[in-house]
Formats: sequence, C-alpha cells, structure tokens
Amino acid sequence: MTPPWRINEVLDRAETGPICLEKDFELKVLVPKIKDVVKQYGIRYDPENLVPSDDSLADDLWKAALELYLEVGTLCTSTHRRILFDENEIREAMANFPGRYIVGYGKDSREMTHRKIEDSKRPYCLFSPDITCDEELFVPMSMAYLQEPLADGVCAPILEEVEGRSIKAGAPYETKGAVAHAMMFREAARRVGRPGIFLQGVGTAQSDAAQMAASNPMWGERLTDGRFVASISELKVDYSLLNKMVHFHQYGSFVGALTGPMLGGYCGGPEGTAVVGAAYHIQGLMVNQAHYLNYFPFHIRHMHNTTGELLWGISLVYQALARNSPLISLSNGFAAAGPCTPMVLYEAAAHGLASVVSGANLWEMAVARNKHKNRATPMEAKMACEVGCGAAEAGIKRSEANQLVKKIVSKYEKRIAEAPLGKTFQECYDVKRIAPTKEYAELYGTVKRELLDLGVPFVY
Amino acid sequence: MVERLRKSIVNGQEDDAEKAAREILDAGLDPIQILEKELFPAIKSVGEKFEKGECFLTDLMSAADAMRAANRVLISRIRQDSGGKSPAARIGKIVIGTVSGDIHDIGKNIVALLLEVNGFDIYDVGKDVESMKFIERATQTEADIMALSALMTTTKPAQKEVMDLLNEMGLKKKFLILIGGAPTTNEWAQQIGADGWAETAEQGVKLAQKLVQER
Repeated sequence: MTPPWRINEVLDRAETGPICLEKDFELKVLVPKIKDVVKQYGIRYDPENLVPSDDSLADDLWKAALELYLEVGTLCTSTHRRILFDENEIREAMANFPGRYIVGYGKDSREMTHRKIEDSKRPYCLFSPDITCDEELFVPMSMAYLQEPLADGVCAPILEEVEGRSIKAGAPYETKGAVAHAMMFREAARRVGRPGIFLQGVGTAQSDAAQMAASNPMWGERLTDGRFVASISELKVDYSLLNKMVHFHQYGSFVGALTGPMLGGYCGGPEGTAVVGAAYHIQGLMVNQAHYLNYFPFHIRHMHNTTGELLWGISLVYQALARNSPLISLSNGFAAAGPCTPMVLYEAAAHGLASVVSGANLWEMAVARNKHKNRATPMEAKMACEVGCGAAEAGIKRSEANQLVKKIVSKYEKRIAEAPLGKTFQECYDVKRIAPTKEYAELYGTVKRELLDLGVPFVY
Repeated sequence: MVERLRKSIVNGQEDDAEKAAREILDAGLDPIQILEKELFPAIKSVGEKFEKGECFLTDLMSAADAMRAANRVLISRIRQDSGGKSPAARIGKIVIGTVSGDIHDIGKNIVALLLEVNGFDIYDVGKDVESMKFIERATQTEADIMALSALMTTTKPAQKEVMDLLNEMGLKKKFLILIGGAPTTNEWAQQIGADGWAETAEQGVKLAQKLVQER
C-alpha cells in the first residue's frame, strides 16, 4: 500500500479544524510548544558530537516531534484553520507506509528505500543543482547531472526565462516555462541514454496551475517521476499546496514533501530546528501524503546547513526517523561556498557523511548560498554522494563518522559567513562537451586525496 | 517603573510593558522623553542582539510586541497633549511586503521588525501582494520607501513589475525602492532600477537609514 492516507480527511480538516490566526499559530501555538518539548525531553546540542551515538537522544527527539505535531498540527493559511491528527491516525499511516518504492522505469529504475542507522545499503542519490540557470544552459547543465553514474535520480535547474521572456509566478509564461522545463529535461535524459531515470519536477513552476500543466506521460512529468509539495515555514500549507497534493496523487506521480525548517527563525536554535525537522516528516506523511521527503534545514542568514549545529540536527533527525518510522527521506545539502573551491567540496563531504551514517538518503546539492544563477555543478553532488556511498559500504559507525565530520567541518566552519562564491557552471565545465574543466577535475582529485588521508571513505 | 518598562520590552512581556507605560504616565513623566530615552533604546538593544545572533527571531518578535503595546499608550497621550496631532514619523515611513505570487514572509517579517526597532514607521502589507497594492499603500501613507521581498526565482519578476508600474505611472521619483530576498542580487536591483538591494536584514536597515538621510 502507498500513500495517500485519506485525502478527504486532510481537505475536510483544512475546512473545519480549529480556527487560528497565522500570527497566533506562530507565536502562541508553535513557538511555546517547541520550547516546551525541547526542555521536557532534554534535547541539547553538543558540538562534540555532531553525529551523536546516543540512541535514547534520537528516540527522545522523535517523542518530542510527535508530541509537538499532535498538539500543533498544520495551519492552513487559506482557511485559518489547523489540520490536526490523533496518534492512532499517525500510527495507521505509518503502519501502511511501505518504506520502499521503485522509482523511474525500465533499466533506469531504482529502489528508493527507508534506511537504518549505519546501514550498509547505499543511499538513494538524487543529483540536483537546486538553482536557476540561463535558458540556453538548461539542457547541457541537466545532461551534466544526468550523466553522473552515482545519480539514481535528478532534479533539473530552474528556468528564469522561457523564449527570452521572464517567468513570473502565476502568469502565463510560468505555465509555458513549466512545460518547456519538463520537455527539455526529458530530452536531456534520453540524450544521455537514461530515458527512464527518475526525474524530479518541476522547479520552474511555483503555482499549482503551472505544475499541473507539466503533467503529461508523453512529453512531461510521468507517473514514474516525482513531484514536490512544499510547506510554508513553519508547519503551514495553503490551498495552492493542497491543490498540488491532490493533483499529483490523482495523476499518479510519486509525491515528495519539501521541508526546510530555519535555524534562527521560529524554531529557535539547533534543538528546536531538529524537533521541527522531525515533525515536518510526520506532516509530510499526513498532510502532503508524501512517498518521500526532501529535508533541508538551513541557517536563516547564511542559507547553508553544513556547520556543526545544523549537521548535528540533521544527524539526529535521521537517527530518530531510522529508529522510529518507516519513512524515506533525502538529506538535501546546502553549502555556503560555490563551485570550484576546496571549501564547497569539504562541505559536501561533511554533509554526505553525517547524513548517510545516520540513516538518510541523499539529495545533493545547493551551493553558493543557493542564490546565484548558474552557480552549481555536478561535482559538488558527486563529492557528497561518493563519500555517502563510501561510508555505507565501508560500514562506518557513528562514532567514527563523528570524528571525521568534526575534522572536515573544522576546515571551513569559521569562514562560513565569508564563504567564496566560486565559479559558474560555464567556468567549471566545457559546456559543449559537457565535461568538467581540468582545473576543477584536479581540484576535486586533490581534495579527495586529502579526505582519503583523513580516513574519509569513498566508493572507489 | 522606567526600569520595569525597559525590562518588559527586552524580555518581550507585552502586558507588563503596557502596564508600566500607564504607570509612567500616571506618575507624570514626559511620554516623549520615555519614548526617546527608554523605549526606543530598549528595543534597539534587542535588535542588536538579534543581529549578532545572540537571540532568536521569536525573542525579537515578542520584544517588538511589547514595544508596540507601550508605544500605543505613550503615543495616545502625546496625541491628547498635542490636540489630536500624530507625532511625526521617527526616521521615515516604509511600506513593506512580499511580492505577488510569493507566500513566504519570514525574511520580510525580520526586515520589518529590524526597521521598526531602528526607528522607522512600518506599513506591512503582508505577503503575495499585488503590485498595484504596494503603490496604493505607499501613496496613501506618503511613504519614503517601498521595500519589496521575493523568496522565489519565479516571484522575483514581480519586483520588476512594481518598478515598471511606478515608471509608467510617473511615480518612481516619489519613493525609494529597496529590494531583497534569497534569489535577488545587486545586479538584479540595478537591472530593474531599484534604489538599493540588501542581502541581509541588517544591511537592509543600514541602507534604508542611508537612503532616507541622503534624500
């Protein structure tokens, strides 16, 4: 059996749940409860244990998240009502969650599964630039990601323009952009010889209407592909998001929940961010009715998740999920530095290692603070996934991973606010031949050798 | 009393702040002096702590709520004393919101709070705001600055739409336009003709102060 759990229940509760104004939800409902459960369950950030080995801490985080979500629920901002569930309903949905899917089709299909702590099974690796690109770079950049051998699935860059016209959310050119995105991405997959690879769509479309326009089994998003339903920070949805959820399920795609709690925002510090992060996974299952989740907690100022306080929370959330749920989640790295810098490769390695040992699959990665057009390449994702897969196959334990992650993080943590933006895709790749430049290939090799000397595992 | 007011703001205690403000007025202290010497410095100190990462957004929000509660009491007395006239804007007036199609507002809320605690009068028009509504509100409030936030690459063009409307309506010179948000850059600000861009909330405050002073 696969999700959805009970779509009409969710939609009905969005219409009939307890009335709550948005500001009250944030300040009177959510924030006090976060503080309450963090204190009650003794969740405490420990900079010495970025990959904690304490099972009871992971279980406490899960209990805290469950208690938080049962009390707070999800606010639907379109109706100003809270969507609430009871514990039995959550248990029912979890009990019927398969924990394993085959995504993509034919020879290119892959298994996406729930993982355990210190699991020797390779993580599912999704490669994604997570950034916008020039229209003429869309296909070569997509092909660069699609041709990476470790990529089990790929998400395309985002278009800002279609046929030279600016794409604006909700406007007709957004619909055109979404369709162009889906068509070109599929073309790129065929050109690299992976026509059935799992494609995550459609980042160019913000609105529900534009997302729906890209659903087409012939030229667009297929049933074997994945679609995202996001959340509004924190623990909120609206009609547009619920429209997407209904459409994706009725169309028949795999549905992912996109969740990114902000460190320094309503969640407070690393502890609250971790609790909300685990709660988001419950919301993803119940409200978004998700088959898998993309999890990207990030720092509210610097848009990264590779410093100690965020890696600690990522590790703990995945351990909590691994021990207490059947859920499938992909850990999405956000690096502060940009392509072709040693720092971004260190950040990638630390994120991949901390995530995989804790039970995560991988979604790698947003770089250069996730805001600079054309500034991402597959090399950063490759580093994170090589290390992640290497850690799984080598059977690295949490305590070993912790020592390694601390060593790697110490190489860049103090420079995070002034991280170098690096280079653009065009500066890092021969765009015509779709191959990395000698400069970046050599830098990658140098950093890889350095990490190997530290004891960081690689697949090859 | 005065110390209690300061503490209630710093600790984000809305009811206490309002009560302390009333007691201050009952004791015959000058509300303008209290605003300038106590209330504004107190909230500014919380803003500075937030900027340094020493407190969280929720602490800043609670402190701002407490400040507003005390502010309402004090301003009401100032109006009474001045025959119904509102006190002049402290530094300047800013209409702020997240542009059309964009439902994200945490970043905008932070900027609005920091601007407020640094002395601006804020008119927050919310999120997913139609371009024309920014202009209507700014005209209505005689704003100095329009601050446009966008968190998505697909909503960034709505910042340009506001600029285009202002230019075509001949209103561009009436307002200073600041833009911000994750996908925006200084190049984008220059490209659409905005008066300024800030990467962080703190930079936004400094830029707004500078632009208003130079105006």
